[in-house]
Amino acid sequence: MATASTSKRRKWAGEEDEYMDVEEYVSDSGAESSLVPRGATINFSALTRKLAEARRAKNASVPDGEESLLDAHRRQQDSLVSHIFLQHDFSWLHLKPDHASRPLWISPEDCHIILEAFSPIAEQAQDFLVAISEPVSRPAFIHEYKLTPYSLYAAVSVGLQTEDIIEVLNRLSKVPVPESITNLIRERTHSYGKVKLVLKHNKYYIESSYPETLQFLLKDKSIREARVATDDTMKGFTTGKAPMKGNLVIAGTREAEKSRDEAAGGRPGVPPVAGSRDGDLFTSIVGVEGDEIDEDDENVHAFEIDDAKIDDVKKRCNELEYPMLEEYDFRNDTINPNLDIDLKPATVIRPYQETSLSKMFGNGRARSGIIVLPCGAGKTLVGITAACTIKKSCLVLCTSSVSVMQWRQQFMQWSNVTDRQIAVFTADQKERFAGESGIVISTYSMVANTHNRSHESKKMMEFLTSREWGFILLDEVHVVPAAMFRRVVTTIKAHSKLGLTATLVREDHKIEDLNYMIGPKLYEANWMDLAAKGHIANVQCAEVWCPMTPEFYREYLREQSRKRMLLYCMNPKKFQACQFLINYHESRGDKIIVFSDNVYALEAYAKKLRKPYIHGGTGQVERMRVLQWFQHDSNVNTIFLSKVGDTSIDLPEATCLIQISSHFGSRRQEAQRLGRILRAKRRNDEGFNAFFYSLVSKDTQEMFYSTKRQQFLIDQGYSFKVITHLDGLEDLPDLVYKTKDEQIELISSVLLANESEAELGSDIRASEGDLSGTITSKDFGPAKFPTVQRTTGSLTALSGAQHMSYMEQNKSANKKLARDAPQRHKLFSKRDKEKAAARKEARATGRAQ
Amino acid sequence: MRAIKGVLLTCDTAVKQILLAMNEKDPFIIEDLDDYHIVIKADEEYRVRKVLEVELEKNTYSLEAS
Repeated sequence: MATASTSKRRKWAGEEDEYMDVEEYVSDSGAESSLVPRGATINFSALTRKLAEARRAKNASVPDGEESLLDAHRRQQDSLVSHIFLQHDFSWLHLKPDHASRPLWISPEDCHIILEAFSPIAEQAQDFLVAISEPVSRPAFIHEYKLTPYSLYAAVSVGLQTEDIIEVLNRLSKVPVPESITNLIRERTHSYGKVKLVLKHNKYYIESSYPETLQFLLKDKSIREARVATDDTMKGFTTGKAPMKGNLVIAGTREAEKSRDEAAGGRPGVPPVAGSRDGDLFTSIVGVEGDEIDEDDENVHAFEIDDAKIDDVKKRCNELEYPMLEEYDFRNDTINPNLDIDLKPATVIRPYQETSLSKMFGNGRARSGIIVLPCGAGKTLVGITAACTIKKSCLVLCTSSVSVMQWRQQFMQWSNVTDRQIAVFTADQKERFAGESGIVISTYSMVANTHNRSHESKKMMEFLTSREWGFILLDEVHVVPAAMFRRVVTTIKAHSKLGLTATLVREDHKIEDLNYMIGPKLYEANWMDLAAKGHIANVQCAEVWCPMTPEFYREYLREQSRKRMLLYCMNPKKFQACQFLINYHESRGDKIIVFSDNVYALEAYAKKLRKPYIHGGTGQVERMRVLQWFQHDSNVNTIFLSKVGDTSIDLPEATCLIQISSHFGSRRQEAQRLGRILRAKRRNDEGFNAFFYSLVSKDTQEMFYSTKRQQFLIDQGYSFKVITHLDGLEDLPDLVYKTKDEQIELISSVLLANESEAELGSDIRASEGDLSGTITSKDFGPAKFPTVQRTTGSLTALSGAQHMSYMEQNKSANKKLARDAPQRHKLFSKRDKEKAAARKEARATGRAQ
Repeated sequence: MRAIKGVLLTCDTAVKQILLAMNEKDPFIIEDLDDYHIVIKADEEYRVRKVLEVELEKNTYSLEAS
């Protein structure tokens, strides 16, 4: 008995690894709703507890014989596994006999799909899954996707058939597609495309070829209220003939002419833009928009809705499961004048950019939606290409006036748009384009602002709202508050919308709102894929754990939240780690950016390590000079940046990034910062060519935030290496804060620092027109005036006449650079002047026209 | 002079600081030996471990919590 039990025990111990495997496997298929299958989620303590329990039970009951041992084992193993997963236990699902060669698992409960990314047919499966579902998490080997109503709408709108979706899913799945999933797919795809939102003559109409659908919608209170009463309300809807649609690509112009004839023939004497509402309605219905679902249905029914309520109606329709199709048949739009722009011949679009655009223009029309591409992967070019495809007046909205100028510059760079066709609308510049169509670039808050407008911007807004826009481009959609967005969407009439973003995450789950305000997510790039193909840099991410020194930790435990942050930022061990990493990477030839949200820490670090730095308080001239040195001088390889560097400074040279303090648990900031080094792909080293370090003080809140911040990038497939000890750190010559005395001196200076120093991003003040929350987390009012202080002192001292001389020990490296700033050569400055004069002249003539 | 039953704890510097902070509220430390070692009252050991665990758990991010 005793020997039997020991031998069993040995066996158990031997098989513990196997259990781990089984566990991981099932957890993958389990697909807990919000949890991402990942090593970290496995509850090891629970497992070992269960194992111990099972072992006890096993020991108590004597096995019947040798042959049943294995069976009992299996059974026990099964019950063990199902016990751990409770409601997530799907072991009852019937596996297909050839399941090993099929790459998918489908969870019958929450529509999650798990893909084995190592399967030989994973690539095809991935393409299909991206089309029908939304990626949740894509690490190296196991991907997770989720079927959502929106993703299914998007799938149908790119032309996938309901039965095909089910068929392909079934072919790829290890288990038969559950009934619940097929039902969902049928249900969602069935109602799609019956209702359309059409913009005609600056008015919105809901259009459908099924009167009963419209009746159904009108039964809803909020939609009924949004309806604009017309003369013939008792009749129900205005009815008109839908034009027959041929092949769109070929029949482009003919179709348009035909429908125009029809309009004129139907109502002779009533011009299309006549004041009569009836005429308006009529032309709108007989417009160029065709019905793609029921091509042979001749009648289209419509009713007009109030501009202001368009948003609620859209939301309501989604809730009623009749999502409105928003497509713009721009080729057949003869009412809005064309904009003659094209990409420059030298412009080359990368394959993934093409894929994303093909989703948008899938059926020859522009579909509204969101395209998600990582930072540095050329989102701007995608936007510009879309604008060049639609070739109508275009409005670009971005988050700050800095990015307005960047967009303008990019438009000039990639397309053949002329200076006169492109206009900028910001707090300082209010231009209009010459001619009847063009591009306007502005910020969200300039457009959404409802009060305190100058006369000029009021006029500009009238100009913007009075016309129809073919295309509206929304940059960084994830940051825009819903209320502001609603104002933009309701005041500006646009046929199609495209949202661009790198990180479709928000800490406040408002991301769902974008689905009805803009449209479904059309495309989301796989970061790992792009990195593997060399479009973005291959980044090694690491989290460096720096132990707190006892002195700092003691103060940390005593202090309250604000000061705590300062204490863990200023941890001397962090200083040392930072110095070590800078030294290491500088000797490798990397260009390094060090990020710190906390300005106090930023200055302290930069001064101690004698590196140039930029924060919000740095003057424009100094800033440009520092940036230039960083970009072109091989002696300046490290630069310290505060939050200003998150978005508005473009540094394509950087290959290494070190974070010393950051904005709590913001996943977006982490992704944005990573984006700073994703452009670094010029070095052709083997393996990783960019490095991302987060310095974290051990045993502090920072550990918590740091893990939280990483979640987004982990979902994109990045893995963070944890470095607990930097080899050779102690041997570094001139290591900072090596002695206890120095550390104690540091801590006393930290403790003396003001509480306000601990604030994050306190250096940046949003300029007018910048979106609050995009650059800073706090809303900054006007600059505070320095308060008057009363001090006592001798007259000699106050006048500075006490013969003392000071020498600054902690000198800012910026100053050194400033001393020997090179003069610009006369030849260039002359040329610049001439250029500016020519531009001015061109604009003057443009306006005169 | 009275004999007190004690337990020797070996810990890292950060944990020691937490213990010292705890000790201020509710004394349980008999002797603070050095940066890594500390002797505490034996009958307080269980409670100290509990509180310490809670304290350390605060800085850990888990998906369940989100």
